[in-house]
Amino acid sequence: MTHSSRFSHRPVTSTVVLLGALALVTAGGCSPGERHPRRDDAGRTALTFWNGFTGPDGVTMTHMVDEFQRENPDVVVNMQFIPWSTYYNKLTLSMAYGGEPDVFVVQSTHFAQYASCGVLRPLADAYASGARPLTKVDFAAQPWQQSFYYGKQYGLPLDIWPMGLYYNAKLFRDAGIVDSHGSAKPPTTAEEFLVDAQKLTVIDPGQSQPRQWGFAFTDLHYNWLTIAEQFGGGMVTADGRRGAMSSPGSLAATRLMCDMIGKYHVAPRPAQVNSWLLFREGKIAMTIQGIYMLADLQKQQGLEYAGAPVPTLGPVQSTMGGSHMLCEPAGASPERAKAAWRLMRFLTDHSYEWAAGGQVAARSDVLRSEPFAKLPVQSEFAREVTYVQYEPQVPKGPSLSQFVDPAIESCLDGLQSPEDAMRDADRRIDQLLSRD
Amino acid sequence: MLKTHRLIHVPLMLASLLFLAPLAWMFCTSLKTDTDIINGLGSLRWLPSTPTLSNYRSVLGNAAEFPVWRWTVNSLFVSLGTSALVLIVDSLAAYAYARLRWRGRDKMFNVLVATMLVPSQVLLIPTYLVIRQLGWFDTYWALIVPASAGSFGVFLLRQFMRSIPVELEEAAKLDGCSSFGIYWHVILPLLRPALATLGIFTFMASWNAFESPLIFTDSVSMRTLPIGIAIFQGHYGTQYGQMMAAATLAMLPVVTTFLMFQRHIIRGISLTGLAGR
Amino acid sequence: MSTNMITLETPAAEKIVDRSKTRRRDHDNGWLFALPHLVLFAGFVVLPLVVGFYISLHHWTILQKFHPFIGLSNYRSALSDDIFWLALRNTVYFVILVVPASNLVSLLLALGLWKTRAFGAFYKAAFYTPVVVSIAVVAVLWQWLYDTQAGLINLVIQSWCTDLNRLGFHLPSFNGFPWLSDPHWIMPSLAIMSLWWGAGGNMIIYLAGLNNIPPDYYEAARIDGASSWQSFRAITWPLLRPTTLFCFIFSVIGAFQIFGQSYVLFGDGGGAGRAAMTLAVYMYQQGFSEFEIGYGNAVAYLLFLILMIVSAVQFGLLSRRGDQ
Repeated sequence: MTHSSRFSHRPVTSTVVLLGALALVTAGGCSPGERHPRRDDAGRTALTFWNGFTGPDGVTMTHMVDEFQRENPDVVVNMQFIPWSTYYNKLTLSMAYGGEPDVFVVQSTHFAQYASCGVLRPLADAYASGARPLTKVDFAAQPWQQSFYYGKQYGLPLDIWPMGLYYNAKLFRDAGIVDSHGSAKPPTTAEEFLVDAQKLTVIDPGQSQPRQWGFAFTDLHYNWLTIAEQFGGGMVTADGRRGAMSSPGSLAATRLMCDMIGKYHVAPRPAQVNSWLLFREGKIAMTIQGIYMLADLQKQQGLEYAGAPVPTLGPVQSTMGGSHMLCEPAGASPERAKAAWRLMRFLTDHSYEWAAGGQVAARSDVLRSEPFAKLPVQSEFAREVTYVQYEPQVPKGPSLSQFVDPAIESCLDGLQSPEDAMRDADRRIDQLLSRD
Repeated sequence: MLKTHRLIHVPLMLASLLFLAPLAWMFCTSLKTDTDIINGLGSLRWLPSTPTLSNYRSVLGNAAEFPVWRWTVNSLFVSLGTSALVLIVDSLAAYAYARLRWRGRDKMFNVLVATMLVPSQVLLIPTYLVIRQLGWFDTYWALIVPASAGSFGVFLLRQFMRSIPVELEEAAKLDGCSSFGIYWHVILPLLRPALATLGIFTFMASWNAFESPLIFTDSVSMRTLPIGIAIFQGHYGTQYGQMMAAATLAMLPVVTTFLMFQRHIIRGISLTGLAGR
Repeated sequence: MSTNMITLETPAAEKIVDRSKTRRRDHDNGWLFALPHLVLFAGFVVLPLVVGFYISLHHWTILQKFHPFIGLSNYRSALSDDIFWLALRNTVYFVILVVPASNLVSLLLALGLWKTRAFGAFYKAAFYTPVVVSIAVVAVLWQWLYDTQAGLINLVIQSWCTDLNRLGFHLPSFNGFPWLSDPHWIMPSLAIMSLWWGAGGNMIIYLAGLNNIPPDYYEAARIDGASSWQSFRAITWPLLRPTTLFCFIFSVIGAFQIFGQSYVLFGDGGGAGRAAMTLAVYMYQQGFSEFEIGYGNAVAYLLFLILMIVSAVQFGLLSRRGDQ
């Protein structure tokens, strides 16, 4: 150590520190991580495909992907099932910091969020490519429409998952609610619904609680949305700027739901029972749930379940639904995009197989086809396709349920009046949306 | 209050049993079968009717989903690494602030002390971004280096150093020792008790850290033991037999270390408290 | 501690030494010793502090490419955010529940242990062991203790009720307190858990403070015929003030940052009625679940600001009162 120099050291210290800081900051840049080119696997193109089909859907999807690989030996697909609860976290982080997949599913509920960030690749060229391009006529109206965001098409609808009425056919026959052929007749209007539900709610003498309920809420979020839309209400206004939970339509829907519990006594309080379990056990006659619950019901032995369109409880004929959109990451190289589209095109061309596994197809040719009409529950739910509504395309959409769901729950559990609960929810939704 | 009545032992004993009871209950539960726990509903049976190690086997057995040994090794490595880094870096720095004279020394030290009051939450998100940019995410670097940037150790060791008589250093200087030599030959040996305390402190704090490891790691194999417990909880939830076995296992290393070095630790904390004036 | 007490006898006569050279040596390489720490400090304290504030002035989510500058808009949003105020209320509630009670318990324990020789090590170990346990373990353990049906606490209360009923009292049937499921009970439950966890730590510090009081004062007081309570009030309490101040300020700072207890038990949602949603949990939720980094940082800086104000107030109140 030489001690001859007498330079002052504080400036040196500060400079070193500053330089270090600057280096870190510039090395930062805070932009999404670099996309590393994927290596080909023994000459074959390797595609990563992420989705959340961890349940029985996954089995169907695995079969389809295997078939694709058989027909396309130059492509190998590395598929990852990630539970929906952590799926979007992982997807977002992979897009921000590297490692994002080549093909991935984005539910229509999250679609606007990703599209608005510019991380999805526009697919117009892909749709138009190939011997037989895909156009508007190939799809049902809603899924096609919802695959666009501000005029650009970012997704390929894999299916439609609408809400529908699941009902216990045996309980209907036992209660005498049958049609001319003696088979169960599900309700289609509000009056029919309430009358049927009351007939189907059975209380044994001397008991305070029914041993069988006419109806139960098994999914508060989508049940509320469905009924709210039927009354012209919804979570947010049409422009997606403000909350609409206190709109007349929303309040009317909420009051009807509360009345089912408190006035007509045809449904239990959500906090009281495990409704889905009870439906599977045959103790609940009707419930509104998504088509994706079909596989769960198929597992239940001895349950005579059936499907029907959701009864129109309000002035507007409407049902809530969504789609699994297949998407590609923005900035994918042309070769990767091409390979990815091959997989996506294959999956949509095999929509019937996917639907048979417990979905409603989005492709119009499949919807019109004979084999599809033979799928009992799917075809019933498919009758709603012409009027199914999707959640509004709001980038903050997924974050809204944290305010919407507790409000609905507290109304139905009798903890708050609909007006109060909805007003609180609206205020919080407004606060969230104003931060955009 | 110079005399304490013998009777003080009554409330003290009661209080200590009260404090220890939860840990005892935890251990007892870990040895009970699930039926034992359910049958115990409504009764206060401490001892299992048939003690079993099945909970421990179950917790340790599923290494794919819950690599407990890996988590323990991670925690060990990270805690030792952090302690080592802190001891080295902070003792050097404390020497600079306590004994050496350089421009800006006191101002810099005041900055260090001021930042000790900054809540960690303020640093969490930006540090996460820095970690990401450095490519340290989900690595040991992320668990060790940011945790070593605190100034508490510098503060503590500086206090200690100031109590070392200056004459010792003067003598070494007269013998022609360089600054580093003084640091190495004179200061460090005398600092040993403080270093031991700081080392153990840092070790325990690092072992038990929760918020940072939660955010700076992602893959199951890089998690530390406390995060592992939270993962267990997410999975086993109300299977209390297994949960208590996992908790006991996670607690054992630290409690054992504590009981072994009890006197050091407690003395060290007292000095921290006194140093805080 | 014996090595610290060594004092070397230096020769009385000072050697003539070239002082200027040694002083220059100090000057030259002093900062080198501080440098490693400063590099870490700069990179992982200063840089995050600055970057964090910078980000909080922008609309910043990790997916978006552009992060428009919005000034203090995030802070304004936070101050008109229901959930932020809820989190703040919950956090303040927690601090009020935990800090005075915990410090009182610590002080009492310290007073009890002060002159106790027998079993001293055992007592200290008993009270301090919870402190060394990780918060994750503490949370998981207390979740079991608080279980409504089978938790130890409700079982004990149940057995008391049974005993009291047997003695002739007619108590209503006890179904178990909903420690972690009822919004009104959640924070007090977390507070009790945190008290158990932290009381031992402050106890040691109070003990050190007590041991620092010169015994002569008490001698004098005893001669004057003062009672225990009088000597406590006149001697112990005032002389303990620096320690009390230290403990209080750091207890408050620590309590304001409560995270682990809430997260392990309730995730980032805050549990029933968001009763366990604290500022740290809200910041985590915004930053790492919603990926709203700009907003999350604003929440963190507001927490910082609140803490500074609270600490300053505390310091003013507790240190000004009576310099005897």
